[in-house]
Amino acid sequence: MYWLLLILMAIVVFASRYLFLEPKLPLRLNDKVLRLLSYSAPAVLAAVIGPLVLIHDGELNLNPLNPYLVGAMAAIILMLLTRSTLITAMLSMGLFLYIN
Amino acid sequence: MVPLIVAVLPWGILVGAYGVESGLTPVETQALSLVVFAGTSQLVAIGMLQAGAGMASILLTTLLITARHLLYSMAMRNQIKNLPLRWRTALGFLLTDELFVNSPQTQTFDKWYALGGGLSFYIAWNIATLAGIFAGASIPNLTTIGLDFAVVATFIAILIPMIKSLSVFVCVCVAIAVSIYCEMQQIQAGLLIAIVSGMVSGYLLYNIKRKEI
Repeated sequence: MYWLLLILMAIVVFASRYLFLEPKLPLRLNDKVLRLLSYSAPAVLAAVIGPLVLIHDGELNLNPLNPYLVGAMAAIILMLLTRSTLITAMLSMGLFLYIN
Repeated sequence: MVPLIVAVLPWGILVGAYGVESGLTPVETQALSLVVFAGTSQLVAIGMLQAGAGMASILLTTLLITARHLLYSMAMRNQIKNLPLRWRTALGFLLTDELFVNSPQTQTFDKWYALGGGLSFYIAWNIATLAGIFAGASIPNLTTIGLDFAVVATFIAILIPMIKSLSVFVCVCVAIAVSIYCEMQQIQAGLLIAIVSGMVSGYLLYNIKRKEI
């Protein structure tokens, strides 16, 4: 039972990742669609970050001392100042683990 | 790629620890990371199994969570569709959030760079899962110390340089607001709805601004 579920999950995930990579699929992407798709990467990142930072145990946490919020603000400032993804990730993670 | 590999590690440890804490065997937990290779889907499926959900509802939820990958494969279509089958299969299997946001959807796309990055994520993900399985058995509350912040830190670091125009900024704000709303309402397809809302907002603003000029 578990192994069947695992195989079916793998098929669902792979199919959604592969579908539009298939050349036999009759689909031509025009400039408008490509422009729309150019917003997908920032939208993905933002949509993943939002709930992780502001929702804990199913409730909105807007407390300014929420360690996730403090850590996220630190990451934004560090990135604007240093322009280094590695420094930003390491320092803000360190800060988060210290205050959490 | 390197900061994202760093981010994958705590996230993978979380999945490994959560799996064994929820009653899966170490082999079952590791197999999820080896075969499915999708963090959010894995976490949700483990939670639903523990809650006694049926196979159909777990698969439907997986479909809703993973539907965003359709967007990635569409965005990467022009770069990958003319590669041989083994390349398409490999890059398709490896097409995670992390690989997608790291791959230019332009002429500069390099299949070897994408493959190397994707394989690095895959290996890091599975080593981290294994570490989580062992650590989860010996360290209590490992799943509640905030390992998921690693994702926040690295995603912010990747997102900030992408915000080069007002339309991208609006896309980001809308995606955040909608994702929070959907999470509060416990809508399983929330991630996909938030992504599409952000994309459409950015696209509409771009068109409005272009017409004004």
